[in-house]
Amino acid sequence: MANINELMEGWGFGKQTAIGTANTSTAIWRQTNLNTKPWAKVPVNEDDRAEIGKGHEFPTQLFRSHYNMPPFELSKYASSEFLAWAMCFSMGNVTLTGSGPYTYVIVPALGATNTTGLELPYFSFVQQIRPGGSAVLDEMLVGCAVKSWKLSIKNSPGRASAMCSVECVTTGQYTSPSGITLPAVSTPHEFNAGMITALTFNGINYLSGGSAKQFVSMEASWENNFRPGFFPGSGSQDGYQIQGRFEWGDRAFAVQFVVRVQAGSTEYSNLINLTTGTATFTMARDANNSFSMLIQKMGFSVAELGNTEGIVTLQITGVQLYDATNGLVTMTIITPLTGICQ
Amino acid sequence: MQTVHMRSPEGEVKEVEATTETLTPLMVAGWHQVPAPAASPEPLAQKPVALAMEEK
Repeated sequence: MANINELMEGWGFGKQTAIGTANTSTAIWRQTNLNTKPWAKVPVNEDDRAEIGKGHEFPTQLFRSHYNMPPFELSKYASSEFLAWAMCFSMGNVTLTGSGPYTYVIVPALGATNTTGLELPYFSFVQQIRPGGSAVLDEMLVGCAVKSWKLSIKNSPGRASAMCSVECVTTGQYTSPSGITLPAVSTPHEFNAGMITALTFNGINYLSGGSAKQFVSMEASWENNFRPGFFPGSGSQDGYQIQGRFEWGDRAFAVQFVVRVQAGSTEYSNLINLTTGTATFTMARDANNSFSMLIQKMGFSVAELGNTEGIVTLQITGVQLYDATNGLVTMTIITPLTGICQ
Repeated sequence: MQTVHMRSPEGEVKEVEATTETLTPLMVAGWHQVPAPAASPEPLAQKPVALAMEEK
């Protein structure tokens, strides 16, 4: 028996060289996670109940089918390290510069020019409870990818005001014991909503001027809509078929935010006039830790009047348009850690 | 000024300023970061070749 508090999780901040080649321990960090469930392995069996010729309708035999690995959530307070990791592994086109701190510039990869086609970088995930001779749990899942993320900003105090959760998928390939000695838990450089230094959406500056105190909350999300990765030759583990690739499908980038309504609010007129503009969101902790999301062309598709804790508000749904020159969105992250997604 | 080497889909390698404004249109057009090319070695001054004398 073991308490879930004993669960240690580590995963590759560096990318695997191939989907079936695990990270080495030097490219694995150990982090905390607000999701308290371990990543479950779900082997699926099938039987012969549908086959006639047995003389009855009941199953008589079991067969190994495949590993149906459920998505797994990494839920964390937003930090420069974790945001860099999430954006690099979810979007794929990364440029790393600097010599400490390091700057990551990230845009969504395009299939036509991505060196790995429709596939994003892969990483390994290690979970352990009392690793060693009598481990309760010690395994490394190989070939994990970032399926989606959600960045939530709220006008509340503390770390919970800036959260990032990442949904990951994995192939079904694993090694147990993992053979990995996890390092000490890393201490990421976290943000909170008070550190927001730029907040301009479609021409409306919510940090200064007439709209300075309007902003309530924001949720931005990315979804890669991976296609199932079972195919001839995708591989097997314990006699069960595993997935051999995660190719993105129709990706979706969504942004919603809530603002207080005041006389002269221009959100509604921006919507009906089809006004578009850039959107800039920046959090800066210090010179070594910042996160900036630059949406190249944002319009509004919905502006819904409502109430948030007694204050009249508008919930705005943004439409992120692809600009022919600058694309959809650029993430720029400064962090003290090098080697993320390298 | 920080710079970085980028490679176009056609294979052209260019050293560019490492700013979001410069990198974004290149990355959107499919350019990827590549390691800086190894510096070409400085031409070495020719030393006179000393003939080894066989010891007797």
